[in-house]
Amino acid sequence: MPGDDPESAIESYSVELRFRDGPTERIEAPAGETILDAAEEEGISLPFGCLTGACGTCTARLLEGDLDHKRPPRALKERHREAGYVLPCIALARSPCVLDVGAEVQSDLVSNPWK
Amino acid sequence: MSDARPGGDPVDRTDEHDHTGHGGPGYTTPQAAIEQSEPEKVAYVMGLYVGTDVDAPDFMGVVDVDPSSETYSEIVDRVEMPNRGDELHHFGWNACSSSCHMDGLERQHLIVPGQRSSRIHVIDTADRRNPEIENVIEPEEVFEHDLSAPHTVHCIPNGEILISMLGDEDGDLPGGFLALDENFEIDGRWEPPGEIEMNYDFWYQPRHNVMISSEWAAPRTYYPGFDLEDVEADNYGQRLHVWDWEAGTVEQTLDLGEEGLIPLETRFLHSPESTHGYVGAALSSNVFHFYDAGTEYRADPVIDVEAREHDDWDMPVPGLVTDLLVSMDDRYLFFSNWLHGDVRMYDISDPSNPRLADQLWAGGNFGPSHPIEGEREVVGGPQMLQLSLDGERLYWTTSLFSSWDNQFYPDEAEKGSVMLKADVDPRRGTMSLDEDFLVDFGDLPAGPARGHEIRWPDGDCTSDVWQ
Ligand code: FES
Repeated sequence: MPGDDPESAIESYSVELRFRDGPTERIEAPAGETILDAAEEEGISLPFGCLTGACGTCTARLLEGDLDHKRPPRALKERHREAGYVLPCIALARSPCVLDVGAEVQSDLVSNPWK
Repeated sequence: MSDARPGGDPVDRTDEHDHTGHGGPGYTTPQAAIEQSEPEKVAYVMGLYVGTDVDAPDFMGVVDVDPSSETYSEIVDRVEMPNRGDELHHFGWNACSSSCHMDGLERQHLIVPGQRSSRIHVIDTADRRNPEIENVIEPEEVFEHDLSAPHTVHCIPNGEILISMLGDEDGDLPGGFLALDENFEIDGRWEPPGEIEMNYDFWYQPRHNVMISSEWAAPRTYYPGFDLEDVEADNYGQRLHVWDWEAGTVEQTLDLGEEGLIPLETRFLHSPESTHGYVGAALSSNVFHFYDAGTEYRADPVIDVEAREHDDWDMPVPGLVTDLLVSMDDRYLFFSNWLHGDVRMYDISDPSNPRLADQLWAGGNFGPSHPIEGEREVVGGPQMLQLSLDGERLYWTTSLFSSWDNQFYPDEAEKGSVMLKADVDPRRGTMSLDEDFLVDFGDLPAGPARGHEIRWPDGDCTSDVWQ
């Protein structure tokens, strides 16, 4: 319920979504709402699949700012997390953020291992 | 909503399966399916937008495969899913020939899971060219059973439906099986929890009270893409599980070893008497023959696809045997080498010694990029296969899985998949590409789509099981 969590009732952060090969959008992300939901509410479609942090379809890269994952980001390996990859379907903004987004970002995670 | 009409009580099953009084779905025997089926007129094909910038839900395409129709080889209808992000993948019927004794039951509803979303759709195909979504099971209802990532759908002969589930609610291991009742609602978990860790495909042979399931990996492992690190960490499967079909318990586990990495599609022969079958080990690019050796099941590699050197690759390119099927007459095994770009046809009249009968190249890393002159480029390799019941027409699509496509055929996201067809001569054991048939998934109103599994309204070589 809104209001149960004082933080989510009060805080919201400006999040810049930089689509690769596309426009840059700015949204307000309430602290208790995932970046994906906040974008969706403002009519901005980000890619997604499982919505549970398992699949990586929503993968984005955090360029600036701070965010938390509300459940373990299982789709990301240590090396991905270290490189700044995040999962907007379970990510909560903790400060103003800038994110590299769009369907292509997911394909950064793995490449053809034999080529 | 149930397809079991009043009066649809199952007749008593005896060991001598009684084919008299057959009033249920399907055909009484595999040979009856060959003799009595009409050539397919429409195909149902999974179409995907997940993981691309096309802002549209995945869909089930209705493809016109009737050569006498004006819209031959066109997608004549698209049943859009209610949500984006599903990754439609495999799907199956509410009933098949295994329920041919169930008077009043019909093969009318398709169960269409979202591999990534864990949402399960039920589509009514009463109007074959204009199917409609009838029911949706939301992911939360699935997660309640600590399962996710629905994959293969087979009906159970009593009107129920069984779905292999590859993960727990977090997309981790273990997976399991979810049963739906005849009203297409969740009945619960089919097996006692803890029987298996990894799951993928399964096939059952009821006369022998056996089911065999295979292994991909945890969803969190394969969803984001293929990472060699996961192979080294043993995060990918290499085992087959032999189940007591009635009890729902694993009786035997076969470790296929290094030669059997990522065993995917699992097919018993169609004859209800047979205890032979095949599984394709995708990563090792081997086909295994499994069989009842008397007191236990065994599995031996019988076809080894050699990796091939390619100028643009640092390592030899594996074939990647991603799909295989057995013809209704149990005479031929067909499989796809998704990375090489060929479809192969093997004579399996001696099941432990398959003999290469024919091979056809279309797309992939070694086949022609324009297999049909004057037609669009094919950017993937042959992948999901489907064969007509009479064994004379083989169709395939080119997408494997959105994130894996992005690694191995990155252009498929922008150009879309194709569906192709070969005419098969089962008498002579030959295939030839039908140059008049190409379904272009790249040319759709919302944008280019991927194409995956294919099914016919009257059953097919990868659904039908006999009691
Ligand atoms: S949608 Fe699957 S990890 Fe975000």
